Amino acid sequence: MMDLWQSYGIWTAWTFLYIGLIVGGVLISVAYLTYAERKVMGAMQRRQGPMTVGPFGLLQPIADGLKLFSKETIIPTQSSRVVFLLAPMLLFALSLVAWAVIPFDKGWVLANINVGILYLFAVSSMGVYGVIMAGWASNSRYAFLGALRSASQMVSYEVSMGLIIVCVLLCAGSLNLQEIVLAPRPLWMQALLFPMFVVFLISILAETNRAPFDLPEGESEITGGFMVEYSAMAFALFFLGEYANMILMSAITTILFLGGWLPPFGILALAAVPGIVWFGLKTALILFVFLWARATLPRFRYDQLMRLGWKVFLPFTLLWVIVVSGTLLALGALP
Amino acid sequence: MISFNLIPLLPEIYLSLAAMGLLLLGVFRGNESSSVISWACVMAAGIAALLLLWMPPERMIVLDGMITMDRFSVFMKYLVLAGVAAAIILSIEYMEREKAARFEYPVLVLLAGAGMMIMLSASNLLAVYMGLELQSLSLYVLTAFRRDSVHAAEAGLKYFILGALSSGMLLFGISLIYGFTGSIDFGLIHSSLSKFAEIPAGAIVGLVFILAGTAFKISAAPFHMWTPDVYQGAPTAVTALLAMAPKVAAIGLLMRLLLGPFEPAAFQWQQIIWFLSAASMITGAFAAMMQSDIKRLMAYSSIGHMGYALIGLAAFSQAGAGAVCLYMLIYVIMGAGAFAVILCLRRDGRSCQRIEDLSGLSRTHPLLAYAMAILMFSMAGIPPLAGFFGKLAIFQSAMTAGLYGLAILGVLTSVVAAYYYLRIVKVMFFEEPTVASLDRGMPLARGLILILCLVFVTGFILAPSSIMATAQNAAAALFPE
Amino acid sequence: MIVQALAFYLFAGVLLASALMVITARNPVHSVLFLILSFFSAAALFVLLGAEFVGLILVIVYVGAVAVLFLFVVMMLDIDFAHLRKGAMQYVPVGIAVAAVLLGELGMLYLSWNAAPDALLNRGAPGALLAGPTNTERLGQLLYTHYAFPFQVAGLILLAAMIGAIVLTHRTRPGVRRQSVATQHARQARDVLEIRKVETGKGAV
Repeated sequence: MMDLWQSYGIWTAWTFLYIGLIVGGVLISVAYLTYAERKVMGAMQRRQGPMTVGPFGLLQPIADGLKLFSKETIIPTQSSRVVFLLAPMLLFALSLVAWAVIPFDKGWVLANINVGILYLFAVSSMGVYGVIMAGWASNSRYAFLGALRSASQMVSYEVSMGLIIVCVLLCAGSLNLQEIVLAPRPLWMQALLFPMFVVFLISILAETNRAPFDLPEGESEITGGFMVEYSAMAFALFFLGEYANMILMSAITTILFLGGWLPPFGILALAAVPGIVWFGLKTALILFVFLWARATLPRFRYDQLMRLGWKVFLPFTLLWVIVVSGTLLALGALP
Repeated sequence: MISFNLIPLLPEIYLSLAAMGLLLLGVFRGNESSSVISWACVMAAGIAALLLLWMPPERMIVLDGMITMDRFSVFMKYLVLAGVAAAIILSIEYMEREKAARFEYPVLVLLAGAGMMIMLSASNLLAVYMGLELQSLSLYVLTAFRRDSVHAAEAGLKYFILGALSSGMLLFGISLIYGFTGSIDFGLIHSSLSKFAEIPAGAIVGLVFILAGTAFKISAAPFHMWTPDVYQGAPTAVTALLAMAPKVAAIGLLMRLLLGPFEPAAFQWQQIIWFLSAASMITGAFAAMMQSDIKRLMAYSSIGHMGYALIGLAAFSQAGAGAVCLYMLIYVIMGAGAFAVILCLRRDGRSCQRIEDLSGLSRTHPLLAYAMAILMFSMAGIPPLAGFFGKLAIFQSAMTAGLYGLAILGVLTSVVAAYYYLRIVKVMFFEEPTVASLDRGMPLARGLILILCLVFVTGFILAPSSIMATAQNAAAALFPE
Repeated sequence: MIVQALAFYLFAGVLLASALMVITARNPVHSVLFLILSFFSAAALFVLLGAEFVGLILVIVYVGAVAVLFLFVVMMLDIDFAHLRKGAMQYVPVGIAVAAVLLGELGMLYLSWNAAPDALLNRGAPGALLAGPTNTERLGQLLYTHYAFPFQVAGLILLAAMIGAIVLTHRTRPGVRRQSVATQHARQARDVLEIRKVETGKGAV
């Protein structure tokens, strides 16, 4: 027994500690992302945003959380009870498990697996089930419409996201996230990947169901879509899941295109600052784009969304895979 | 290092590239261009045949043993290409009349052809499976091509479900063989199996599943259930294709499998083939008598023909394999001719396919009636037509191999089968026309195919030895010294 | 080792249980959800085997894409399974008989199984080409050398399937108004707008 404790127990205890740290960090970030969203949108719309709870309204997310906790979870009578409750849990859990492979700094990663990027892609592609299950189990027209929209939207944009990831992999020569960050990336390669960065940025908006692609929610047409029947804690889980997903997608973008924890523009003097700070700042930059897009752009129409995904992004990314691999071959720069 | 010598694959590569190019052309030009694309596909098949002509005669094994090119595969590929080209030519006018002309049709036929050619020269079970699936998937779609017709949709669905089942059986067999021998390469399987004096159970079960899967594709009884329904429901032009090229490919694959990697298990598979052959001949002969639909009749006729072809395989000799090659050659040509006639069966602009629609054909369309009569006589195996020589070669090889039972059964079922072939002749010549006469007019290309088939069927007796020698020569490649 | 064994039994158990639920669940949507769970468990088993690439591809392709479309269709179809089942029950004896025969054969096979003596040698044959530290790289090397031909043919098969799907389902409906982004962009204000001077009290005509 002692043997088992020594071989597994200590390791397990440490792992749980790390998991607690990461989950805690993500949840706090989510809370303040909602605050940041309201502040940023307030500033863009010449309002003040939350101001009353705490200094500068800093305690507002906590107040919101408490409010949701204390409310009653209503389960519609005609709903499929188990699936109805499972859906938000699944979505929330998936938005957390993905963090296992994210490197916050050199060596700061819970599970340094060989196929980290595939793992992230797999987890994000499963997120759609939370939405579909919620929409179906609610037994409501609006919710069902939202689920259908979400299913087709996420599947469509995953295709081009996969191809973009292939482009990055070709340049890095590894599926391991740390190696992707550390792979040398000369200026021409960055220029080559820049279009993919833009497409990826747009695709993650669609993948996380955020404006201008928030058709699954579409509060003005289908009154909240798949979330229409949810209340209190169940709703809070969706909410947390959505924002955690946003942060996760920003982190992935940071790792794939912005050099992860490395100091910006390769300025060595900046390496004195801990990598996790750069990682956080870069992620925050992408998150700002999320909020910016929400405050500025009107929602896409459904056919326009599909058209963009299948007729623009898919051919373009497919072409770009060929361009990238061709360039790498021609320059003899294949890793 | 693997040598990527692609020369033996040139015809397949050319066909696939042509299919893709023509698909693009079709997408931009729309369905109006479908007849142009059809002719281009026929030309592509012709060019692929020319490329085959250019192949060196000796055996070549390339791509790390994936592909074997020898005289056998060249011979069978000629047959496949002929079947594919004939099927496309026969379809052009038919599809236009049926208002179903779409440019995807010839492209899919071409892709199916590429799949069949891959099947014929594959020497690795994975390559076999890939070729098989390429042809099957294209054929499923082609069967259901007239999606507005309930019959075609039903036929397509039946074909798809049963075809998927048979592919599953084939894969299961392949996995057992892999589990047993540790390889999917023909050469390695052969060397593994030949080390046993008595083939162990594991390999035999795998072999049985593989045989069941391929028997499905050649529609040998008792795996023939799909054939009549699919033949009847599919558009007639597709039925013509189904009756010709896939049969050749599947028989060729079966020969390559059984005489190649599973040659050490010959004693075991001979019994299975014996049974398949006998069951097919009996089913083909007796079930066909009840039919009133000419396409169903052709289905049972093809089941019977597959039974005869399998006799040659059961003989397990070079002469037997040569007889199968010859039989398939004659079978494809007779099939092309028969379907050229069947495609003419239309009344008031609608196609009809009942046997009584043929009644009195000798009065209204004497030339067509005589052509059909010759083809039916040939299918029944009446001398001096080509069909007789095919059967003769098969029975001879069976007698030499000591398969007297099978040979006698073959002769008996031939007599039974002659009944329903001759019934068609009787309906055409000795029955009064019961309904209004058929539409007139025969498109030039179809007429040309019919004439070529008739010339072959009747003229075979003039030079039987040279054609037989070609077939024997092809089969000899399966028996390396 | 014990953790691996426990994980194996956990995932294998979940796999079998959910596979059983796929065919016994009353609600077709639940069936599909169990199917997804069984895919997922199978992927976990692959990871346990050290085939992490295959496992994750299984999740991405089957769980993330194929099963979503499956679920999509099943949710939309609204099949009355109770009605379908009614007729199916009469085939149960036949099904059980076939299954029993197959099971018996497999059992006999298992008892008398002996692989060919050179099976292990053969199995290693393509592996001789392998180099590279991770199994992703090794798979890639095998796929693009030894199995390049079947790989390409698989592409052709997918092309045929794609053509088939389009041929069998795509219809051009008349009277559908489509958005043409290019035309919209090419439109100039002067083509469609006209400024008219409207005199007071007359109104626009």
